[in-house]
Amino acid sequence: MNQSLKFLLLGTALALWAGVAAAGDVYVICNPDVTLQSADVRDVFIGEKGFAGSVHLAPADNSASQAAFLEKVLKLDAGKYTGLWTKKSFRDGSNPPPVKNSDAEAIAYVKQTSGGCSYVGSPPGGGVTVVGKF
Amino acid sequence: MSIHTPSRWRVAALAALMAGALPSLALSASTATDKDKLIELQKKLDQSIHMIDALAGRVRELEARQAAVAAAPPVAATPAAAPATAEPAAAAADQRISAVEQKVSQIETANATRHSDDSGLPLHGFADVGVGNRNPYFPTYKGFYIDNLDFYLTPHLGEHTRALFELNNEVGADGSVGIDLERAQIGYQFSDRATVWIGRFHTPYGFVNTAVHHGAWINDALRRPAFLQFEDHGGILPAHTVGLWLTGSEHAAAGRLQYDGYVGNSQLIEGGVVDMRNAGNAHGKLIVGGRLGYQFEGGSLDGLTAGVHAFSASRIEDDLPIPNATRVTAYGGYLTYDSDQWEHNAEVYFFDDEDLSGTTGSHHSNAEYVQFGYRVSWGVPYVRFERTDLDQTDEYFLQQISGGSYQRAALGTRFDLDSRSSIKLELAETHLTDRSRERFAEEQFQYAIRF
Repeated sequence: MNQSLKFLLLGTALALWAGVAAAGDVYVICNPDVTLQSADVRDVFIGEKGFAGSVHLAPADNSASQAAFLEKVLKLDAGKYTGLWTKKSFRDGSNPPPVKNSDAEAIAYVKQTSGGCSYVGSPPGGGVTVVGKF
Repeated sequence: MSIHTPSRWRVAALAALMAGALPSLALSASTATDKDKLIELQKKLDQSIHMIDALAGRVRELEARQAAVAAAPPVAATPAAAPATAEPAAAAADQRISAVEQKVSQIETANATRHSDDSGLPLHGFADVGVGNRNPYFPTYKGFYIDNLDFYLTPHLGEHTRALFELNNEVGADGSVGIDLERAQIGYQFSDRATVWIGRFHTPYGFVNTAVHHGAWINDALRRPAFLQFEDHGGILPAHTVGLWLTGSEHAAAGRLQYDGYVGNSQLIEGGVVDMRNAGNAHGKLIVGGRLGYQFEGGSLDGLTAGVHAFSASRIEDDLPIPNATRVTAYGGYLTYDSDQWEHNAEVYFFDDEDLSGTTGSHHSNAEYVQFGYRVSWGVPYVRFERTDLDQTDEYFLQQISGGSYQRAALGTRFDLDSRSSIKLELAETHLTDRSRERFAEEQFQYAIRF
């Protein structure tokens, strides 16, 4: 028992270490009806890409993972992101993405919204397409 | 080695012995350190195993108790006093847990859809007030002024239908407050490459006219260049067009190609001001124009946009008893550079106008500006130079109150108080160069907000 327990404890320690190392990842997810390249994600969230083929895209921000998303994907800080959408809205009538409050809300939104896209901080599970991991 | 061996050989031998011993000593020390670490880790592991054994023992004890309760003969029960058994209690607990899980899932789903409700009407706006030794738009006035209370609406109308309305409460040249439907456009987005708008829109020429609307907060500078102001604020171009506008963009090579094409009611000069004919015009003549630009993305030119523009208004009349009519043709180019650190803009306009009602023939004029801005953490300081050279025998300029030539140098800065409000300061020197030779200095302060 001592030997197998030692292996169990060692395995647990290794798994925990791997989890800590991956905590900063951002998973961009979309509804399965969306076909999108990871290179297009930035354009989607700054309002430059509104369609994927014939599917109208409906992106949503996720406040729980927004800081990491802005840093890793959009390369913008929160102030610049807000200012970008203020100008875009005023210039061409576009509306900024709605904001979800948690990974669970973001996943639920993407699953039930045609063209829905958002981002989460951990692997999302089934029912959505992972467009990119950043 | 005898005691009679020469002393240098003794020293050498001693050094060799020490050299041989030192790595062994170091290795011993290292080995001792690793050994200590291993012993420490083993101790901790043993403690953890001990704890697990104790927990396992406790679980066995609880299971034994549970089994004893289940095996005991049932007590004779009256209908009113049936005792709860462990299994129904566990089943009840499972049911409660399932119910809670279901509620949490429902709450998450409700929240996921709550902000997707698109039956609301997104209403936003801008406002600005200020003070200066001259009103920034009507320089005959001095002191405090209110400028705009500007609302804009962008209703959600579906996947393809778009709409934008900008309703502006503004102070006019006579100091009265008027309401202007500055933009009223309804559009259909076919794809990312093409959106068509119908209604009243900002005429797509240059950069400033479609980037900086009536909300002063949007503009890093305190005001637009004078010749590019709105028609009723001193501008000389048809800043608004009532008509049809096709616009779009497409990725191309290292950037994005942007295009605009439009057609609308040819304007009228009424009361010395260009009017865009919201209800149509008397002769049915049109203004036709376009703009083509390229925005670099990535690489050393990231942030640079270059483009050309042109329009021709086939007949612009004035409101004299015997009206003059001019075919106004304008063309030019623009450059913008927008990065984390810099914000520079430059535009140039050339006019080739033709007198349609007189004998003055063709007229040539030009107007240009360049602005340099530097982004810092607290805002954007900027410097700007403007110049127009307008042929005063061209009726199109002659009949406009603001149609005279001028030069202006301005130094200003924007301070961001927070993400929704800013104050701006501008010092400017303006020199009128044809209708009068007046030269005046301006000190301007503006407080601008968005909401």
